[in-house]
Amino acid sequence: MDAVANLAGLANLNQERRLVEAAQSDPSRFAELYESNFHRVYAFVARRVSSRDEAQDVTAEVFHEALRNIGRFQWRGVPFAAWLLRIAANALADRWQRAARTPEVPADDARTENEAGQTEGADVERRAMLFQLVDRLPTDQRLVIMRRFVEQKSIREIAQELGRSEGAVKQLQFRALETLRGQVRNNHE
Amino acid sequence: MSNPSIVEQLDQAIEQMLAAPDAGMQSGAGLDELLEVAAELRDLPRDNFRTRLRLELEWEAAGRTVSANASHPASASLAKAGSTSAPGLLSLFGKALSGYPVRRSNMALSFALHVLTVLAMGAGLVMVKSMTPQIDTHPYVTVRLEPYAFPIGSAPHHGGGSGGAAEKTPASTGVAPKATREQLTPPVMLRNMQPKIVAEASVIAPELKLPNTKQIGDPLSLLALPSNGPGVGSGIGGNYGTGVGSRGNGPGRGNGSGGGCCDSVYVPGNGVSMPRAIYSPEPEFSEEARKLKFQGDVILLGIIGADGLPRNLTVVRTLGMGLDEKALEAVRTWRFDPARKDGHPVAVQMNIIVNFRLY
Repeated sequence: MDAVANLAGLANLNQERRLVEAAQSDPSRFAELYESNFHRVYAFVARRVSSRDEAQDVTAEVFHEALRNIGRFQWRGVPFAAWLLRIAANALADRWQRAARTPEVPADDARTENEAGQTEGADVERRAMLFQLVDRLPTDQRLVIMRRFVEQKSIREIAQELGRSEGAVKQLQFRALETLRGQVRNNHE
Repeated sequence: MSNPSIVEQLDQAIEQMLAAPDAGMQSGAGLDELLEVAAELRDLPRDNFRTRLRLELEWEAAGRTVSANASHPASASLAKAGSTSAPGLLSLFGKALSGYPVRRSNMALSFALHVLTVLAMGAGLVMVKSMTPQIDTHPYVTVRLEPYAFPIGSAPHHGGGSGGAAEKTPASTGVAPKATREQLTPPVMLRNMQPKIVAEASVIAPELKLPNTKQIGDPLSLLALPSNGPGVGSGIGGNYGTGVGSRGNGPGRGNGSGGGCCDSVYVPGNGVSMPRAIYSPEPEFSEEARKLKFQGDVILLGIIGADGLPRNLTVVRTLGMGLDEKALEAVRTWRFDPARKDGHPVAVQMNIIVNFRLY
């Protein structure tokens, strides 16, 4: 997959190789590979499916499959994420084949394969980074983001749950989005 | 503090975006970038998904036997429907609806343990039903003293005897005459040497093993000279009767009265007080009797000496099951404040009744 080329420079290959070899000799070490690639795989899958539940299902399927087959992975100098994304792509293809429906591919996938691959790789990385940054938000801001965008609760519901005013919750939402935008921009630059 | 109008505008735009995900984003006041971030946040995974998946993987990595269904695409839909279907049954077959992977080996072990528990409980119930209720389980032993009641027609064997020929010297020493149940000839030191009917001198007393000597007399006397003693009645001694003894009276031997032997062993009553136990450890219940819930009285007969020690203890009513031995063993260790007669300690013959009971 050509998207892998964009990922290659972002990963510390030597460290990742050691992690892969450790997981191959001791499967319990797979958790480290999981942590470093979770958001990447999830972001890749989430762009291609229609619901969060489906994205979570496929992501879980990818990591279980990877754990079962880690022994067969051969290091060829490309990031481990590339292998994971290939598993994810296969899982999605199987799923679409089973459902006998057209894959829900974003519009930019209609471009040439190379161009689309490069764009997609960057997009996946950007999303993965964004999801990771959410985890690093201050607790109250993170809580508001999760309630608002994952559970899709109204500001009033969140205010009641947190015991704060609606204005305060809106402020937390605003500050969280500003923080995320700033960090994503900094990381890209 | 951020500009309230920007905060409000952003929230309204987010509200519209969430309500109509496919509609184009309407923004203003330079909120495009923020809304772009917000749009991507709609795909965030659920809060616990990452942790749950990691847990599943760790389990699988540890056991390598986690059900593959945990990661099967159907698991999510099952999980969503878990509250309405039969989650327990699905978990039993490794569907892991609770978010935790299920190992079939653990489920099998759990099932086996449950079966064993149910069987054990059933067996316990059967055993309880088949057992007879235990009424008495606590051993309780009481001991009481009763004066010895002589059998009808018999007399206390605390007899004694005396006699004499009103001589000035005390009775001479010697062995007591032969003990018989019937006295034909009282013992005398100076006897008729040509009797018409020969009968050996005797006293009415239990048979005793005595030194082999031909000289009869008072065994307690120190006088070697032949003398029947200062008493009267044809015996040997200093009192009255046809027996042997310095202070007794009657046809027996010793210092008591009536037929019989030895020093006086009294029976409480008539001026003789009861002995009082001053050290009386309780007899133990034998293990055999306790198991069989055997109970009853053991009656011991014995003499409580003037020194307060029990002697000559014998079982006159046996109970068995080791209880007789337990009673004897305990009573032998007892110590008494002895019975008294005229203020002096005397030996008394007593029944000691040991009552073994289970409550």
